[in-house]
Formats: sequence, structure tokens, C-alpha cells
Amino acid sequence: MKVLRRTLLAGTVALAGVAALSTAPAWAQAKGGVINVATVGEPPTLDPMVSTADLVGIITQHFYETLFTFDKNWKVTPLLAETMPDISADGKVYTIKLRQGVTFHDGSTMTSADVVASLKRWMDLASRGKQAAGFIAGVEAVDGATVKLTLKEPYAPLLALLAFNNAAAVIMPAGKMENPLKEPVGTGPYKLKERKADQYIQLVRHDGYKSRAGEPDGYGGARKQLLDEIRFVPVPDPNTRVEGAISGQYDYVDALPVEAFPRLQNQKATQPVMLKPFGWPVFVMNTKQGIMSNLDARLAVRTALSEEDMLTAAFGSKDFFALNAAYFPKGYVWNTDAGTEGAYNIADPEKAKGLLKKAGSEGKPLRILTSRQYEFHYKMAQVAAEYLKQAGFAVELMVVDWATLTQRRTDPALWDIYITHSPFLPEPALTGILSEASPGWWSTPGRKKAVDAFNSEPDPSKRPALWAEVQKVIYAEVPAIKIGDFNALSAQAPKVTGVDPAPWPYFWNASVSK
Amino acid sequence: MNRYILQRFLGMLAVMFVVVTVVFVIVRIAPGDPASVMLGPDATPADVAALRTRLGLDRPLVVQYVLFLGQLLRGDLGESIFLNKPVLSAIADRAEPTFFLTLFSLAIASFIAIPVGIYAAYRRGSLFDQATTTVAMLAASIPSFWLGLLLIQWLAVRFGVFPVSGYGGPGASLATRLYHLVLPAIALGIVSSALILRFTRASMLDVLGDDYIRTARSKGMGEFRVVMRHAFKNALIPILTVLGLTAALLVSGAVVTETVFSLPGVGSLVVSAVLRRDYPVIQGALLVVAALYVIINFLIDMLYLVVDPRVRY
Repeated sequence: MKVLRRTLLAGTVALAGVAALSTAPAWAQAKGGVINVATVGEPPTLDPMVSTADLVGIITQHFYETLFTFDKNWKVTPLLAETMPDISADGKVYTIKLRQGVTFHDGSTMTSADVVASLKRWMDLASRGKQAAGFIAGVEAVDGATVKLTLKEPYAPLLALLAFNNAAAVIMPAGKMENPLKEPVGTGPYKLKERKADQYIQLVRHDGYKSRAGEPDGYGGARKQLLDEIRFVPVPDPNTRVEGAISGQYDYVDALPVEAFPRLQNQKATQPVMLKPFGWPVFVMNTKQGIMSNLDARLAVRTALSEEDMLTAAFGSKDFFALNAAYFPKGYVWNTDAGTEGAYNIADPEKAKGLLKKAGSEGKPLRILTSRQYEFHYKMAQVAAEYLKQAGFAVELMVVDWATLTQRRTDPALWDIYITHSPFLPEPALTGILSEASPGWWSTPGRKKAVDAFNSEPDPSKRPALWAEVQKVIYAEVPAIKIGDFNALSAQAPKVTGVDPAPWPYFWNASVSK
Repeated sequence: MNRYILQRFLGMLAVMFVVVTVVFVIVRIAPGDPASVMLGPDATPADVAALRTRLGLDRPLVVQYVLFLGQLLRGDLGESIFLNKPVLSAIADRAEPTFFLTLFSLAIASFIAIPVGIYAAYRRGSLFDQATTTVAMLAASIPSFWLGLLLIQWLAVRFGVFPVSGYGGPGASLATRLYHLVLPAIALGIVSSALILRFTRASMLDVLGDDYIRTARSKGMGEFRVVMRHAFKNALIPILTVLGLTAALLVSGAVVTETVFSLPGVGSLVVSAVLRRDYPVIQGALLVVAALYVIINFLIDMLYLVVDPRVRY
């Protein structure tokens, strides 16, 4: 497979002090020390199988591990598996050799029985596991160190699903996987020592950890365990996170408002770190019921909108966003312009009016469900509403808190468009809008044909072309409107090295200079 | 007296019952549910429905209410959906920062407001009085989060005297934990002092014009003694009332301040419980807060007996 050179690091512009932040050679890193990582809040759970929340993945990936993970090029690479799986010629049988001598935090040794039990739990509980379960005929232990997964039909996204860190296929001891989880016991380089809700989550080095050999490679490769402790501290107020970074109280601060960038520059105790691009905001259409179930009405929305104005309102400077119609940015193997020509940033309310008339939906209310939990969602909604009103839509902004939004979006009677966002994921099949079951309920013969072809193609070299077909169908049928790319801002103390900017930052290779 | 205490106790039970019922209904009719929050943004509706069933949230509201009341009668506030521990234990974990924050804020507020209020009343109409009244009005209008951020910028970031936020890391001593409370206590103390100051001034003005003050002065008593022993003592009842109300407000969680300073107190517990729809914690915490309110009011009423011999129950 010809994979385009794409690394998170290369795709990242660390606007200040990038050399000091991410590329310190291994020999320069000292062992020992503690870092305080300020996060956006308290995770709803420490069970990475049951939640798709990013925060859960960020924290739990330090103490739970998966069979596979992603390297710096976003290629699937083995983690608890010894090697990449042996896949049968028909693409239906995956034989996975496990690493030997891997111990859990309770001292027990990982065996194939633990892996089989964990994968079954994942298929029962995790949303991504359930997605895979529909294709899996059976999971069994071949011997103490080998597991076999048999599929009903070829399913190419399987390895990416097994590698992903949220709704994650983590490996737990067979005897310690109750639901709800009582005690997180994993194989990761760090183990949970203490959790004080809304105060800290304290992780300490797992002395029995067996790292992979070689050098770190994205989420894969060696995990060095240089730090004695990692403390995740919930700091829900974004302004307080900014001040905490500047004062030096926190060594790494996640998810800062981009407006704080100038304040973080030229500080002694911290430096801004920009992950560029981080993710994409999206307007999801309710294709099942109501005004947006009509294709012309969806086309009218897309024709009316100015993505540029929406992104400008949401993120201010072009340093923090980019206009991009493609569902994956440049540098990703999945990047393609297929289907996007003349279908993005149109801002033509007159033409939209015609489409709306054709749909017979003039004057009907268009309910946009959004939240101020993510202020940029709300700002985009406000700009979109004005453009849509010019096109003849009777826009009704429904601004609710995030918990309400996640509940309401499951009922097709309650909304027409809802606003969300996603980081760029390593595998397109992980994208929510492609699933018929996810709110939006996009289900057409065109979708089925394109997505099934993409999901069942086992040859990695053929999959990018099939993804281009999926993107074409998305642009033709408008189940969602991608608004653009946006960057994420974090802050990191200069004394901390070995942290590569990443959508789900990890600290097992980090160290602090004394 | 005993009859009065019994009456108050029964009244308290009635208040608690109303609070329990209202809170139970409100949190459940509000949109959003804990299952969606726990499972995250990419969970399917089927996953959410399955978790709702496991949590018992798919049962009719009346059934849930009866079960909840039964639990309550057994002294069980239930178990937090997210924290995996009993609600009472979750609240107990958060009591320390809230208790000390309340204590410090009240101390700061009283230390500023009471002497200044007394002096402003004593020098009624003077420049000092006018300036004090204006500043008090401004202080009452300052949002505590704004004052908090200002204090963080100056005292924590610029001068590095105090920590920005949090309540100390693992193994932090009591002194370290209390040190983390200084800035939020100043923020809350300043805002709370405005109300106490205005009450103190008004209450002192009431008594300073009374006959017994004139009599005390005519007998040649010193001004300090007149003001402090005669006037202030008699002005205490409304001041105690406002102190009690302020304490109750602070105990119930200085919600915004706790959030700005990332303090793991009762206020932030309630906020995160509301955002996550952690029903048992919302219900339990509000029940405890309501009980504290009633108890503090009761204690204030009892204090009236001490400061004013004319009061009889």
C-alpha cells in the first residue's frame, strides 16, 4: 500500500517551540518526575469500552491497551498483539498472535482467555464493538497465546475498530470486567492509583510493564514510562485552564480556546501547541423525517450556506481554521476532492430559494439543534441561520445543553439539523454519519452500495478509491454538510518533552527536565 | 420551647418532602439523560436504551418515585450513576472544601463588612458613609466569576502568590488544601460583604437613634462603649439573620466560584451532576442542602435567644 507520508507531527504546526516540545532525542529525556495535565472535566466513566467520549479515551489509554493501535502515519500497528494478524485469503479469518509475558496491573499474566473475554465484552457493550459484532461469527482461543476471529463476510474496518481508543477493544483480565467496572485493571504503562472525582486522577508507573521493543511510533512502538506519575486534573473553566498554563501550575493543558493563543505566546512557563488540523464541524441532516428528508431541501441548505463566514465567526482568524470540502485533509490517504466541486461554500441564497421552492418547503420551520457547550457550534448556527433565512427558510434555533442535545437527536420528530464535530479519525468507517443507525438515519441504496463496497474491500491499496466513491455519494445525497477544518490549541510547559501533539494526547513517552 | 423545637422539626420534614418531590419531578422532566452522557457522542440509540433499562430509567415515573421514597425512608440516598459510590459518601467527600470556603468567606466578609458598616452608620451622611455605600453597591454587582478571574490573573499568575485552581494534589496536607481556598474565599468574601455591610449599616442606623442610646450618652458613657455595647448588641439580630442566610447560600455551593477555581466542593458536585443528569446525586445533594438551610435558620433563631433576652419561643 502506498500510504502518503502523513504523520500527526508533520501535519501539526507547533507554532511555538516545536523542537523543544516533540522531538527531543531519547537519551536527553530524564526518568522520574510528575506532570499535571489539565483536562476539560471529569470523565463520565473510566471504562473505555462503554464510552465514546474523547476524554475517556485520553485518560484510559494510559492504563488500558488494545491489541492494535495507530502509528505516527495512522497505520494500524500491533500493541498487545505480537504482530499484525494473519488474515486468510478470503478475508474472513484473523489469527492474532499475542505478546508473551504481558502482565496486568494486578500481577496476573495476559492470556488468550482474557483476550477472548475482553473482545466478547467489547462486542456486547461498546458501540464500536457492536458495529463490528454484526460481522463477527466467532472469537476463540486457539492456544494460550493465539486468538482467532472468524467473520461472516470480509470487513475491512475491523482492525481500525480494534485499534481505536474510544469505545475501545481494551484487554482486561477475564475476572475483572464486570459492568459497571469496579476497578480498572489493564496492561498499560501506567496504573490507576487514586481517583478523586473533580479533583484528580492519579496514575503511577506500572512496574511490571513490558514495552514493545524499538522506538516510539505514534501511539505504537515503545512506551518508555519515564514519568513517575501522571495526574489528570479536571479544570472545566477554559479561562482558568489558560491561566493555569501561564502560571505554570499545569504542565500540559488540553482544549484551550483559540482566542487564548496570543496570551500563551512568549510566556516563560508555557508555550502554545497547535494541532493543525484537529477536526471538522458538521451539520447533520435528519434524512428520516421532516423538512430535511427531501433531497432538494438539503441541497437548498448547502447552497445557501457560506462556510467561510461560519468558520470565521466560530474561530476568528484563518490561523485556526481552513476551508476544506474534503472529509479528510491533505496528508491523509483518504483525502480526495471527489464530489466536492461546486458543492461547498456556495453562499447563493437566491439559488437556494429555487431549490427550496422545488422541495415545496418554503416557510416551513427548519429546526437547528445546537448547544453552547461548544461555543463554536453556536456561532456557526447563528451565521447559518441568517443565510438560511435569506433563502426562505423559517429557521428555529434550538439551543440546549449538550446532554439534552444528545438525547433529543435520537428522536427524529424533534429536529431537522443538529450540529456536532469530530476529530479526524484514522479510518473513515468510524465516521458516525455512515451508519444507518446514527441520528440522521441516512439510508439509501446509493449509501449502501458505496459503503458496503468500501467496508468489504480487504486490499488497503484499493480502499482510498472506494472512499472517494463514498464521499461522492455524501455530496450527492447531502446527509451532512462538512463545514471545514479547525485546529486545536493546547499548552505545554517547556520543561516537558516527548509529547507529540495528538488529538488524544498521551504521556507515556513524556519526561520533565529537572 | 420544646413545643417550638418540635414544630420546627415537623416543618423541616414537610419542607424536605416538598423539596424531594419537586426535585425528583424537575430532574426527570428536564430533557437529557445520564445514559446519553455516559455513552458519549457516538453511541447508538439502542445502546442508550439498553443503559436506560439497566439504570431503571425506563420505568414509569411513579414507580421510580415510590422506589426512591422507599430508599429515602431507609436512609439511603442511592448510588451515583457516574461516581460508582453512595450519594452520601460523594457529598461527604465534597464537604471539606465547601465547609472551609464558607467559613473563610464569611470570616472575610464579616471582617470587612461589620466594622465598616458600624462606622458608616456612626458617621451617617459623611464622605466615608457615601463612599462605603457606593463601593458596597458595586461589590454587590460584581459577578463572583469575574472577580475570581481577576484575582487569578493578579495574585496567582502575575505575582504567583496563590495557586490558580484546584484543591491540592494527592497527599496534599490540610494546610496546602486550605491555601488553595484563599483566592476563592477572597472572591466570595468581597461579594458577600456588600450585603452584610448594608444590613449592618441599616440596622445600626435604626438603633443609634433610639432613646437608650441618647440616655447612655447623657450619662457620659464613651462613644466606643455606646456604639459597641449598646447599639451594636441591639443591632445584632438582623445582622445574624443575614449572616445565616449568607452562610446557607455559601454552603449550598458557591457554584460559580467553585467552577472557576475547579474546587471539588458541593457546588461543583451539583453542577456536574446536573450536566450529566446524575439524578441520585442531584436529588441527594439538594436534599442535604435543603436540610442545611433549615438547620442553619433554626440555629439562627436559637441565637436570637442568646442575643436578645426579650425573644421567647
